[in-house]
Amino acid sequence: MKRTEIAPGVHLSWDPAQKFNRCRISIHFSFPAQRQTATAHALLPLVMERGYADCPDMTQLTKKLARLYGADLTVDARPFGPNHNLCVSVTGIKEPFALEGESLTDEYTALALGAAFRPYLVDGVFDPEAVAIEKQMLKKALEDEVNEKRLYCQRQANREFFGNSPAAVRQEGYLEEVDGLTPAALTAAYREMLRTAHIELLVLGCTEEKTASIRDALLAQLATLDRAPVPLLPSLAMPRQAPVDKTEYFDTTQAKLCMLFTLGEPMRPEQMAAVRLAMALYGGSVTSRLFLNVRERDHLCYYCSSSFQSFTGSMAVNSGVEHADAARAKAAILKELDDLRTGPITDEELEDCRRSLLSGMAGIEDSLGGIETWYYMEELRGGPIQTPDDARRALCAVTKEDVRAILRQLTLSVSYLLTKEEEDVGR
Amino acid sequence: MSEDKTLLEQTAADEWRVLPSGLTVIVRPMPGYSGTHVIYATRFGSIDRDFRMGEKEVHLPAGVAHFLEHKMFEDEEGDAFAKFAKTGANANAFTSFDRTCYLFTATQQLDESLDVLLGMVGHPYFTRETIAKEQGIIGQEIKMYDDSADWRLITGLCECLYHSHPIRSDIAGTCESIAEITPEMLYDCCKAFYAPNNMVLAAAGNTTMEQILAACERHGLMTPPAASAQRVERLWAQEPMTLAAKEKTITMPIAKPCFGLGFKEKPLASGDLRSEMLYDLILCCICGGMSPLYRRLYDEGVTNPGFGGEVLRVDGCCCILFTGESDVPETVQKLLLNEIARVRAEGVDREIFTLCKNEKYGQLIENLENVEDSASQMADFALSGQTVAQQIATLAALTAEDADAALRDILDPERMAVMNILPDGTASDEEEEEEE
Repeated sequence: MKRTEIAPGVHLSWDPAQKFNRCRISIHFSFPAQRQTATAHALLPLVMERGYADCPDMTQLTKKLARLYGADLTVDARPFGPNHNLCVSVTGIKEPFALEGESLTDEYTALALGAAFRPYLVDGVFDPEAVAIEKQMLKKALEDEVNEKRLYCQRQANREFFGNSPAAVRQEGYLEEVDGLTPAALTAAYREMLRTAHIELLVLGCTEEKTASIRDALLAQLATLDRAPVPLLPSLAMPRQAPVDKTEYFDTTQAKLCMLFTLGEPMRPEQMAAVRLAMALYGGSVTSRLFLNVRERDHLCYYCSSSFQSFTGSMAVNSGVEHADAARAKAAILKELDDLRTGPITDEELEDCRRSLLSGMAGIEDSLGGIETWYYMEELRGGPIQTPDDARRALCAVTKEDVRAILRQLTLSVSYLLTKEEEDVGR
Repeated sequence: MSEDKTLLEQTAADEWRVLPSGLTVIVRPMPGYSGTHVIYATRFGSIDRDFRMGEKEVHLPAGVAHFLEHKMFEDEEGDAFAKFAKTGANANAFTSFDRTCYLFTATQQLDESLDVLLGMVGHPYFTRETIAKEQGIIGQEIKMYDDSADWRLITGLCECLYHSHPIRSDIAGTCESIAEITPEMLYDCCKAFYAPNNMVLAAAGNTTMEQILAACERHGLMTPPAASAQRVERLWAQEPMTLAAKEKTITMPIAKPCFGLGFKEKPLASGDLRSEMLYDLILCCICGGMSPLYRRLYDEGVTNPGFGGEVLRVDGCCCILFTGESDVPETVQKLLLNEIARVRAEGVDREIFTLCKNEKYGQLIENLENVEDSASQMADFALSGQTVAQQIATLAALTAEDADAALRDILDPERMAVMNILPDGTASDEEEEEEE
């Protein structure tokens, strides 16, 4: 992957990715998340994805994509700790697969740039009709959050965990604000994004010449804007606190438990290799302690796994448990963490986990999505950009003590439990 | 679409062998890739509940295929995951209505990983103790799915549409049904359905046919089956075309009501992927993203964006299911039935039909791009005796007239069942009180 700065706050990353059948053009906008515009930024992807100036109608756009052999236009938003990311991407088959010799890459470029920079406006604001419809869709999505209990539990735990920190902004939006959002406010939030965001153009699977023309088309688009990129917020970590237990009651068949831990200080990029191995050992693999002991040996959970969020220096342990076993499961999860911190770690389990991670990293460049996610995360995390091979070498150097040091640094902040009312447990 | 076959053939090229043991092996070498994805699949799923093996009739409780999948990872020496950990491969397995698949992705020690896979699936080991242990874990899995509204819609619709077909039962069974499982049942299933001639081994990525065949050789898969191998015959109860129930309603802790509409269709012949593909295209024309119905439902906000239809087909069963969320499911039902009637009367929209074919072509090309999708697609088609190239050719040959003709026989409102899931009230805002 080659990366160059093509304008202030604008980078191009390019990989010819010749072995793939498809190519991909992505435009990432990253900027600090803000409470007052969170709902607008949650709505933006929905409105941007349904049409743009050259193809304002949603159905016509769907047909246009189908004509391009089912090319995929996606506009989605993701939180990266205290920063917000909006990504416009087009993925489609390469030209040699076109059945009638169409110039597909030019079409993909026009689609990506159109969706990102040339929205369909009516009297200077996003089409009020489209905004009204997509507001209803956003409301539905926010109301339906509770249908997916695992996700809901994790989000509720996050809300408790992050308190009033910059990472607490609900980047999925605030239900109570959706109705009041106007096309003008949405347009203002969009324009502010264009003005202040760091932009990363990722081109995968295109020739150097084609990539240069995509770059030039982006620069021409940016030349019409008044740009003033603002710095992204650095990675953070929540301060340590006395553990808080929260319980919410639902009449479900299985209880959900989410436990959030903090590193206490922001993760440094050079800790990443040790964090990866620590997660694989504790709960991120099928040879981890949580999988082998809490699930397989004690049968306390159907799923029980840990994951680490590098931008917020936090670890989540998610599990699905019997209602009556929730307290035992929590104790077992904590015991496994303590055992790793203070007890023996065998060479065998350490090497099993390392081998599995090394193998997975060797396959990262076998998919377009793998390449894009790897490099973009590296860029956002700061520090020198590691290739998967660099990361493999760093992983080989991690010791048991490095792993213990990471795990010892993690302290429990929040346990969030979705369960039945006590009198219903065992029913 | 059929004129550009050279490139398609190159891209979709895979190598097929049927070994003396009866095992079908398919390999797609993918130059430039680091990883290899391997799938070992058997035509044995949750619907295979009753069969005759030689003179012996076997009747299984619900959930045996899935239970067996879990147990296959264990032998006298322990857990196969521990063996995969020594090779670095990322392994998994899944069971569906009509198949069980064991799989791994490896970027190193491929021979060793193949040995673990072929060794574990070929050498089952069960005791009453190990079975009892697994019942706890699977009981948890069953409960997890019980809380999924999407899954409950599908299983509820199948219960309405079918009187006796085993698709009525959940893939994992129930806590009660899996309590009936014995080692003998599991060994019978292995003997009947894990015979090489009922299985497919598919590999895509950084490998060759020679490497895969060498692994088969090491595991005795090059030798013909013993003369004493017993013939296996699946036993099906007669399933009428009438419905078991017209409607079913349950409550769950969800925020918005969910609904499902199911249409019972005539079962498709084994290997008839053409009709399945045609039905998919018809659904795309009726309620896909390009259809006027989808647009109306979307703009009026009466369903969620995920509303859509799907074809569910296995031996002895074919149905078309529409699922979504709505505060007004009766309105959606009425609009859908009207649209089906309109398209049946006027014929499918020619432009949309062609565009749907275009999309499916792109999807097939996309699925050849990464090692996981590539091997999965090969295994899926091979279980029905087809190649990816044949699928592309079948797609190219489908016409709007074929769709019009098929529509005369499918999506009959007389064979429609309705499933509703209503909020039980515990997931509404006013109930969201927290306690420390």
